[in-house]
Amino acid sequence: MAIKEKTNTQLFVDGILKENPIFKLALSMCPAVGISTSVMNGILLGTAVLFVQVCSSCTISLVRNYIHPKIRIPTYTLTIATWVTVIDLVLAAYVPVAYKAMGLFVRLIVAFAIITMRLEMFASKEPVGKSFWDGLGMGLGFMFAMMVLGFVRELLGSGMILGYDVLGFKPLLFFVLPCAGFFVVGIMMGFFNWIEVAYNRRKEV
Amino acid sequence: MKEIIKITFALTISCVIAAAAMGLTYTATAKAKKHNHHMNVQNAMIGLLGFGEDNPAPSDLKFLNVYRYIVEDGEKKFLGYMVPVEKGSEEAYEMVLIDLEGNFVEKLEVPISAEKAEEAHDRATALQKVLAPPKIFTYADASVIATAGGKRLGYVLPGQFPGFRTFIHALVAMDPKFELLGLEIMEHEEDAGLGKEIEQEYFRNQFKGKTYEKLKTLQVIKKPLPMEYKKYLEKSKWEDGMFTEEHIAEIRKQYKDADIYAITASTISSKAVTDGVKNVAKKFAYRIGKLDSVLKKEKIHAAF
Repeated sequence: MAIKEKTNTQLFVDGILKENPIFKLALSMCPAVGISTSVMNGILLGTAVLFVQVCSSCTISLVRNYIHPKIRIPTYTLTIATWVTVIDLVLAAYVPVAYKAMGLFVRLIVAFAIITMRLEMFASKEPVGKSFWDGLGMGLGFMFAMMVLGFVRELLGSGMILGYDVLGFKPLLFFVLPCAGFFVVGIMMGFFNWIEVAYNRRKEV
Repeated sequence: MKEIIKITFALTISCVIAAAAMGLTYTATAKAKKHNHHMNVQNAMIGLLGFGEDNPAPSDLKFLNVYRYIVEDGEKKFLGYMVPVEKGSEEAYEMVLIDLEGNFVEKLEVPISAEKAEEAHDRATALQKVLAPPKIFTYADASVIATAGGKRLGYVLPGQFPGFRTFIHALVAMDPKFELLGLEIMEHEEDAGLGKEIEQEYFRNQFKGKTYEKLKTLQVIKKPLPMEYKKYLEKSKWEDGMFTEEHIAEIRKQYKDADIYAITASTISSKAVTDGVKNVAKKFAYRIGKLDSVLKKEKIHAAF
């Protein structure tokens, strides 16, 4: 398999660009459409996903030889749920300020397709080290995508970035409404594909 | 068959491990979480009393807890109030027993420190020493009396009443004349978009400023909330110059004796909160009156 030849750095970078969970793999579209209304949301949800992805990837990778193939999906879900609960409890206890903003997002993660998919496709087959880098790349890739979407929607929808008024007016309220999520995700997806195609073409020439 | 057993076994083991991991984290974080909850309640109480960024709370603001117990001695029933008393410079607690007619029965010193008094378990242990069997005591509730500079600022009453789904936990704040200072919803499980709206300012703030007289007959009306009133209630969304002082006074006057406008499609939740607040406030006003007169008659120097 091609994946096996990749170095750790490649795995990490691919997660962010070439195999970006939202723009390339088109996974976990619900949060991408629903929550990406501001950059801050992107950062918060991204951080939460990053932690859960890395922790779950490492756990599954550690016990990959003992998982019965017929119950692998329940095992993944259980692992993710455990990590989500642990992170939820720790955040609530030691970082109450962040928890107030992130609490809802953290609990949502149990159902994210991207994490289960990475466990199934990667962590259940690869050693811990590689799974760690893959998880880190995927988590950051997700965060990056959410921030880009948040940036576009927050700027165009409310004229602000990270809560600071940069434009002084609201160009198009439409962008913070739920339906705009589809448009922005679609356009950004096309944009990133276009960049990749252009980049590959130049490499060939 | 063998396969099934194997799978069952594997899943059981995984679940046990996961449960152990979650359990351990819970135990490790429980204390910090409790502290956070305590701070949350504290901040909510300060907010309810009307203090905030532009109106900082006085430095000698104190929240004193009065714990109410039901004490049974054979056939007889008493109300037991565990009140903080002043004894020199130290704070101590005394258990004041009152019979059901409101007459003083007995006063007992409770050997407990102010810090420990907040823990239900420590309180019970200390009370066991003074209220030995055959006397039996059961915890009823706690009320908070806010004081500053030796004067009462108000009361904050934790209320628990059944909502549409489960119990709604709220804090009701009243001033010394039992006028409502505010309402804060702490915990509930009402439906998002419907009953959950009880958290919103436009509902909660309707209670603010209702006099005790009005409170007794407060009702829920099924009419749309007037736009202007809604804007006025949503204080955190106010923009500069949205309301002039006269305008505020006018709205306040107009809606001072208004009933509570029900949340659209959530009349049950609205009614549950309104009745709950009424109940909590009325019962407390009655009880504190009785307690105060006993304290005065018996010359017990309570810290509030």
